[in-house]
Amino acid sequence: MFGRRNKNKKKLEKIDIIFNGLVIFFAALNLFPLYWLFTSSLKNSSDVVKMPPDWFPKSITFSNYVDVFNNQPAFRWAFNSIVVSLVSTIALIIVSCLAAYAFSKLRFRGRNVIFIIFISSLMVPKEVMIVPLFRIIQDFGMVNSLNGMIWPNVATAFGVFMMKGFFDSIPDSLRESAKIDGASEFTVFYKIMMPMVKPGIGALFILNFVQVWNDYLWQLVVGQDESSKTLMVGIATLMQDLNPNFAYKMAGATVAAIPMLVIFIFFQKYFTSGISIGAVKE
Amino acid sequence: MRIKGKSLKENLTGYLFIAPQLLLFLVFVVYPIFEGIRLSLYKINYQQETFIGFENYSRLFADDVFVKSTLNTVIFVILIVALTVVFALFVSASIFDKNAKYVSFIRGSYYIPVMVSMVVMSMIWSFLLNPANGLIPYAARQMEMASVNFLGDTTLVLPVIIFITFATNVGSAIILYIAAMIGVPKDVFEAAEIDGASRLKVIFKILIPMVKPTTIYIIIMNIIAVLKIFVVIQLLTGGGPNNASTTLMYFLYNNAFKYNQLGIASAVGVIMFLIALVLSIPQLRAMFKKD
Repeated sequence: MFGRRNKNKKKLEKIDIIFNGLVIFFAALNLFPLYWLFTSSLKNSSDVVKMPPDWFPKSITFSNYVDVFNNQPAFRWAFNSIVVSLVSTIALIIVSCLAAYAFSKLRFRGRNVIFIIFISSLMVPKEVMIVPLFRIIQDFGMVNSLNGMIWPNVATAFGVFMMKGFFDSIPDSLRESAKIDGASEFTVFYKIMMPMVKPGIGALFILNFVQVWNDYLWQLVVGQDESSKTLMVGIATLMQDLNPNFAYKMAGATVAAIPMLVIFIFFQKYFTSGISIGAVKE
Repeated sequence: MRIKGKSLKENLTGYLFIAPQLLLFLVFVVYPIFEGIRLSLYKINYQQETFIGFENYSRLFADDVFVKSTLNTVIFVILIVALTVVFALFVSASIFDKNAKYVSFIRGSYYIPVMVSMVVMSMIWSFLLNPANGLIPYAARQMEMASVNFLGDTTLVLPVIIFITFATNVGSAIILYIAAMIGVPKDVFEAAEIDGASRLKVIFKILIPMVKPTTIYIIIMNIIAVLKIFVVIQLLTGGGPNNASTTLMYFLYNNAFKYNQLGIASAVGVIMFLIALVLSIPQLRAMFKKD
């Protein structure tokens, strides 16, 4: 953009070219571990540890994937991950939209104080309170249950913070005219406001789904028995497995990674908009 | 009278709308904070709780592993945050004014490791770094370097973990910086162009000062994220060798779920909570000023 029509453009362009060359080089370097993951998972157990290595797999085999699903309850893990991510995301969207609508459009006593307390909690990672959190889950009898993984995730204020921005952008006059026509508050919220914040809901859905899917510590603590393990916890146990077949472990890791890659490829714009929401703009 | 009734109704509607979120928030966020503070003052053996005041805290500060974990966490925070800011600035400043397809391709390339999670990335790195058959020790042997056991060497383990964490997480900072830089008004650059400013000068004199709020946000969010670093330690080093890579979060986890030292673990949690709270004050202030 700049420097293109300038007289001393040669020198400027040069630094730009060097910088961009480096950026591309580092990007390739950054993607290499993933390339190595995929190609290793397609090698057989002797080729994967061969030195010097095969940069491209000589013969492709899917037996590692077959083994992961045959030797491990990988379907069960994946099912648990899908349930935990989906249910906590849907629940989060419902409670966050309700609260965000109230904080944005309704006047009630203590509104600002409660909102400030909500938002302050965003800055404190829930992991630091893992001991009392675990004891609550224990008291509720939710250890080794997917419920124990779901509900603490719904308690985050991130959704409220994000959705309030979307509700704020809808003019108040819309709500007032609907109220004059006799619509109840909930009807206004559900029939008029919710359809208008759909882009926000989409971004929140994707961001939260991915975050819960990739969560590890809390799922590790709550899901201790075989039937309640999630995919991340399950494949992490593969790694600690004494089985020396790395191709097999890499196949497990690929199974955990692929859904997120697919989501990212299709929904990249949601990430770029959603992640920037928290940042301060001048 | 009517006005009072109306405001009461409006209050009630508001409370009803926030009730589900508030309930979850009280149970899973507010209560654990107070309960965590309380537990940190107790010695807990299974069902028995004995009040011991600040003894957990004084025991912590006398514990070498805790001191080591704190030190490691501080080193992690400083180096990872510095690397992240510098590298993310470098990448975004190089590409933000280029063709949209190229920008989204580069952004995607750096963000993909964030997407696939720390667990998966840790597994790949453990394979790459495996002393017996990993690619990196193999390359090191080819170059006749002394040590090939990157995770088993007390001096190498910290830089390696720092690099892995940085490389896996820098994508979010790049996304934030690119968004901020694209938002800088075009006429600022045009003015600089007319003055014949070099690209480096534009980056250092215009771009970096203009995205300062984003830099502050990235620094704070990354400090808090690095504070709770856990997965990579558990899966790659187990805190070793000889506690060289133990972090506060890993120390907390071990005390809570391995050694059954719930009081000690709660005290660590309270300390981390206070650190996060203090660090987030500037960010919170900026967020509320906006409203």
